[in-house]
Amino acid sequence: MQTVLAIMLQQTQPQPLQPFYANNATIWGHMSEALHQSLYRVLSLLIAILPGILAFFTAVAVCTLIGLALSVLLRRGLTAAKFDEHLAHGRGNVDWAPSASPTVLIARTCFWACVLLGLIIGASAFDAAYATATTLPNSLLPYLARVVGAVLLLIAGTLIARFLARSILIGAVNMQLQYARFLSLGVKWLVLVLTAAMVLDHLQIGGDVVVLAFGILFGGIVLTLALAVGLGSRDLVSRSLESHGERSTERSAAPPNAPTTGADDSIRHF
Amino acid sequence: MATVNPISDITPASAPPGAGLLVLLAAMPPEQLESVLAHLVASFPEEDLLVATPDENAADSYPDLRIVPAPATKSSWELTAADFVNAYHLAGKNEARAILMLGPESSSLGSPALRDLANAVITSSTDLAIPCYDLPPHAALVNSAILYPLSRALFASRARFPMAIDLGLSLRMAERLASAAQRFTPPSQGEVFLWPINEAAVAGYAIDEFDVGPRVLPQPEDPNLNTIFPMVTGSLFADIDAKAAFWQRPRLLPPARYSTPPAPSTEAARDIAPMIEAFRLAYDNLQEIWRLVLPPKSLLGLKRLSLANAAAFHMPESLWARIVFDFLLAYRLRTINRGHLLGALIPLYLAWVASHINITASGTSPARHIEAVAAAFEADKPYLVSRWRWPDRFNP
Repeated sequence: MQTVLAIMLQQTQPQPLQPFYANNATIWGHMSEALHQSLYRVLSLLIAILPGILAFFTAVAVCTLIGLALSVLLRRGLTAAKFDEHLAHGRGNVDWAPSASPTVLIARTCFWACVLLGLIIGASAFDAAYATATTLPNSLLPYLARVVGAVLLLIAGTLIARFLARSILIGAVNMQLQYARFLSLGVKWLVLVLTAAMVLDHLQIGGDVVVLAFGILFGGIVLTLALAVGLGSRDLVSRSLESHGERSTERSAAPPNAPTTGADDSIRHF
Repeated sequence: MATVNPISDITPASAPPGAGLLVLLAAMPPEQLESVLAHLVASFPEEDLLVATPDENAADSYPDLRIVPAPATKSSWELTAADFVNAYHLAGKNEARAILMLGPESSSLGSPALRDLANAVITSSTDLAIPCYDLPPHAALVNSAILYPLSRALFASRARFPMAIDLGLSLRMAERLASAAQRFTPPSQGEVFLWPINEAAVAGYAIDEFDVGPRVLPQPEDPNLNTIFPMVTGSLFADIDAKAAFWQRPRLLPPARYSTPPAPSTEAARDIAPMIEAFRLAYDNLQEIWRLVLPPKSLLGLKRLSLANAAAFHMPESLWARIVFDFLLAYRLRTINRGHLLGALIPLYLAWVASHINITASGTSPARHIEAVAAAFEADKPYLVSRWRWPDRFNP
């Protein structure tokens, strides 16, 4: 016990006092040094990748100009050669929208192909400059690539959701389902939830929470839809079965070549 | 209707060359075939007649007739591109001077009808002889609502059945149809329809229409309107799109064939409630889609229609014409997906059918109402032409 007390007393003995300002200056010095070093690193990185950035913009600009020139040349050449008329004569030009004749389509494709080429060349130059110059942990650029991928996923998911929602809405209305809008909205949100989960997963946000929440939401929507459609479609199914049965009976009862008289009551669309 | 056997694989006909009339028959049961052949024999001298049928046993069963095999097709209810290609190739092989195409269930056509259709293309300068069927009042309603009015307004033809399945064709008409059909004949194209009246009008060929009396019209195997309606209207819309340079010019409609007033309808009122309900359900749900296609004035007309009770349910002819023209424009501009577009037209068509039945039940003859609809289409054609050329112009 005495030994312990002796040690404690020894530890609590006052140290020789140092001036407070000296300690403060050390902290500021360290901070300043850290900031300087960080600034130096970032500036060095910027200076190192500046040629890459310039190369990127130059490649895009040059390729865009080349694309523009090629597009104009192609458009004039194909118009002079009456390419659209030849194609219409040969294949039946039934599917071309007016603002997208074959000539315009080819010219536009050429232009955007050149722009894409410029982007690829520029990105490649930038990537090379970044890889050789960077001394910092290079986590920002790859994450930006992920963000771009996530945005593309989001756009695609939204488009698919809208397309499916419209398809189901029109189909269900034509089948005279009273819950057509509900069904359409359900499918739309199903796809949107799936898209959101994929986007978050792609961005590596949320981890297991996203998977869990997605599973619960997805399952919930599917269960709701199944219950709603199952309960609401009883009449439809019974009507369908009845009409099928009636058609079969009529076919078996009526002679195959029975002429239709003017007094036929049925409504025939064709 | 995809061709099962290409025409080149057909065994050479045993018939001597130089037949006057080639009759191309669709696949049909033996008793129907017998009836059609009896009508043909009664109408034409046997030496001028060459019959082509997919029935392999026909040549043995009827040795007195010159019968050659025709490629078997999946023909069920309508003539398709493959039929026209087959007809032209067979006519060329057998040196026929004219072609008579008879669709399924053609045994219900009488001998005079066959004679009229064939003689028109053999003896006169007619290139396309088209029948006018005497159908029950509420049959072929898609034809009455869309095909006939559009064909009449845009291609200046009074032919009542643009989708007729019995046709008389001159050789040059058959050649034109075959060349138009060639681009659709690969099997991947599936069922593709041709529009002979449109082709004849664009080529400047003579079209003649003949009353052929009652006929049993074959119905599609799948009677689902939601499947067939987009297929038929989409095919016509695509053809109109392809021939825009032709129909935009104003043309005079030929005079009507007869002017006897049609008898008033004695039809009993039918239950149109399901069709009206279908329209109202669509009005509640499809407005966001219709709004992309139709101008506010048409939407207002539809709103009034949705509020009308069954007895007063009447879609004005001008409104229907404007709706079809706006859908045609949206089809051309791809305002929305074309499948969605044509699907969204179905409830509006059902509303027209309900209105048509209401009008005919009130004493107006169906023929008179259909003529009124066609006249409305003609009157509104300048709107279509204007918006076709300047789609972005203000449209209240």
